Amino acid sequence: MAAFGATVIRAGRRFLSSLPALFGVLVFTFLLMRVLPGDPAVFFASGPNAGKEEIEVIRKQMGLNKPVPEQLMLYLYDVGSGNLGRSMMTGQLVTKDLRERLPASLELTFTALLIALLSAVPLGVLAALRPGSIIDHGVRFFCALGVCVPTFVSGLLLIYVFYYLLGLAPDPTGRVDIFASLPPRRTGFLLIDFVLAGDFDGWWAAFRQLILPALSMALFVVAPLARITRASMLVSLGSDFVRTARSVGLPWWRVVVTYALRNAILPVITIAGIVFSTMLGANVLVEKVFSWPGVASYALDALLSSDYAPVQGFVLLMATVFVIVNLLVDILYGIADPRVTIG
Amino acid sequence: MVVASIAFSLAAGSVQAQTRSETLRYVTGASVNTLDPNIPGSTREAFAVSLSTYDRLVSFGRKQLNGKWVFDLGKITGELAESYEVSPDGLKMTFRLRKDAKFQDGTSVTAEDVKWSLDRVVTAPVLGKAQLLTGSMTSADQFKVIDPLTIEVTLPKPDKLALPNLATVYPIIFNSKVAKAHATADDPWALAWLKENTAGSGAYKIETFKPGEQVIMARNEAWNRGTADKSASFKRVIVQSVPEPATRANLVERGDADLVIDLQASDVQSLEAKAKLKVISTPQYNAVTFVSMNNQIPPFDNVNVRRAIAFALPYDDMFKAALFGRGSPLFGATWADGKPTSGAYPIPQPVKLDLEKAKEYLKAAGMPDGFSTTFSFNVGQASTAEPMAALVKESLAKIGIKVDIQKLPDAQMSTQINEKKLPFFTEGIVAWLPSTDYFYRNFYTGNQRWNYSSINSPELVEIAQKARFEPDAAKYEQDGVKLNAIHFSEIPQIPLWQPSQDAVMASSVDGYTYQFHRQVDYRDLNRK
Repeated sequence: MAAFGATVIRAGRRFLSSLPALFGVLVFTFLLMRVLPGDPAVFFASGPNAGKEEIEVIRKQMGLNKPVPEQLMLYLYDVGSGNLGRSMMTGQLVTKDLRERLPASLELTFTALLIALLSAVPLGVLAALRPGSIIDHGVRFFCALGVCVPTFVSGLLLIYVFYYLLGLAPDPTGRVDIFASLPPRRTGFLLIDFVLAGDFDGWWAAFRQLILPALSMALFVVAPLARITRASMLVSLGSDFVRTARSVGLPWWRVVVTYALRNAILPVITIAGIVFSTMLGANVLVEKVFSWPGVASYALDALLSSDYAPVQGFVLLMATVFVIVNLLVDILYGIADPRVTIG
Repeated sequence: MVVASIAFSLAAGSVQAQTRSETLRYVTGASVNTLDPNIPGSTREAFAVSLSTYDRLVSFGRKQLNGKWVFDLGKITGELAESYEVSPDGLKMTFRLRKDAKFQDGTSVTAEDVKWSLDRVVTAPVLGKAQLLTGSMTSADQFKVIDPLTIEVTLPKPDKLALPNLATVYPIIFNSKVAKAHATADDPWALAWLKENTAGSGAYKIETFKPGEQVIMARNEAWNRGTADKSASFKRVIVQSVPEPATRANLVERGDADLVIDLQASDVQSLEAKAKLKVISTPQYNAVTFVSMNNQIPPFDNVNVRRAIAFALPYDDMFKAALFGRGSPLFGATWADGKPTSGAYPIPQPVKLDLEKAKEYLKAAGMPDGFSTTFSFNVGQASTAEPMAALVKESLAKIGIKVDIQKLPDAQMSTQINEKKLPFFTEGIVAWLPSTDYFYRNFYTGNQRWNYSSINSPELVEIAQKARFEPDAAKYEQDGVKLNAIHFSEIPQIPLWQPSQDAVMASSVDGYTYQFHRQVDYRDLNRK
């Protein structure tokens, strides 16, 4: 228990020490957006007949009529008070947009990562147990395939086969069937909210909707996870303690799981953490193909229309998620290998 | 267990089928970002939604064009107005409101509400202000309440576009009591509140509004002001954003979506070939796609260079590559004795691919060896503009003009156009009220953004301004011919075609009409 408390305190300290980095990200993104070519006011005043006057109105609305240093100070003040500005695209507060969309992205990414881990770790272990065998080559082939097919291609293929040809999957738009009613929002994670509401048909509908996008995301990241598992399993299987464990006549599964895998899992956790953070932001294409109302597609749309506030908000969010994920990875490290502590 | 779940899913299917037939599911690539179309930055999808949730005083009728229903600029019928009259001198328009017209909260629509709404359009910082300006409505003094059901609009000059302007999407009629209750000192016209809420009398009420995702509307059972004197047909309308065009095509083909208007030309073609769905292609007769040149930047300030380009574009190939031939071409015409065949805008131009002629013009311009330039288009139009740009580059290379293709993000492209920095690019224009003088005044005069070619022709300006107030139809036609003649002799930009609006819908959906705002008016539709 004391050890747990110490971990929490250390984790808190680690988080605080990453605040300067977050601040840097904030200022850097702000300046970067101002340097990019393209005047958002002109873009948003693109309706028929929108003239100089309309452009000025929008510029004022977005606060672009002030000098950049003043804009930055105002922005920092706003962020400090929890306000990330207003999106011109959706007309909503960025914090509201992100709060509504982040659970969608997280749910999708968690599911994809879970699928990826559940398939990659056994595959990697299998490949490591018989290096050079037909299984090893098979795993390598599968991984290469997963990596070289871009996510939007696999997404469109999955839609084509399972929705268009076979009619097995529900229509690939959004998180739940458009005619279904949503559960009361508690966590924003539909799979959890449906369970909390006791609506299991709804849960099933949401789950079916989730499978295809999660699969196409998972396919892409199985490769790094499986490769890392294989490599570190090989090292671990060849080490002294495994030889010792074998020589004392322990059952093979015990040797593989308890001795070899437990030691081999550390790099997999690290990679999983990195994979998770990148997936969350980089899966714009999956979100686009499946009309998934997540944060990544939101940020891309904002970027294309030079909508400053959502892009800045998104980058800040991603930076924060990255910090948190790294922290979690460190804590998991401690659990997997008690010798490691976070400092 | 398995049997039970199959039985259940079948049952669920039939329940769904029932509600489905009364629901219209419309999928689109764009998104609705505001419930008040007047808000700067509002999307076209937002126009379509507000057209269903609000009424205007008047609306356009519809007519058949080559067997397809399109909006009729010449026929204006009452929507909230039971009748209207224009005084003989054209300076006064009087609207008598329907006695039975009610807002969605049950209160009656009064002339006060109409006045407040029209005052708002010309006073508040909204998009409608610039639109109503084109119909000579600029000040709140012009709108007068005569009695609770009569409102009068006075004009400084007789203006042909005054009445049609009141049928566009901006002068919607708000429930002024509700709106005023949500106005603040900073925001006297309740812009912020009306952006996310509605206070109208329209055919549909907003059920849920998720900006960027979907809008679900339910029928307003009390509404009786349809253009065909009937209530709206669908009980519910779902407007859903589906960014991926291939997915939109799949959805409508599988029967999960009822209607989509913005598919890729190639998808439309294959869906049409399968003949399972109804495909209605209407040339957008109020839109033009063109190649524009900046008439103030060398070498395009030289008219002979512009002429050379006009004869060096591979029109047919471009039309096929960009649109699969879906639209009406504006090239390859023959003008007897070189005069425009009509005073309408746009009309097909007497240009075609003729490299010899192009070379002669280049020589006349003093640039027989050609020059280098950039050709720009925006990412949003890449699917049609990209193949087009490649063909332009290839063809111009044959007469010595080196072209660099520049693909710009939309915001960057609009900025550069606004700053008049692009020498050579492709763009499209649309006019809600497609009359010749309107096109020329808005797109060929002044130092403003929509004058893409930055043409500065005092003669053109004079004729276009005069034509605006020309009451005599024959003289107006003559003015149009003159304007078209100037356009061709100056060639500030080269009209290419009017793209088709391809509406792909379930075969059970009926009543689709091409509208001035290039969106679907959900009130037009029904299921057979």
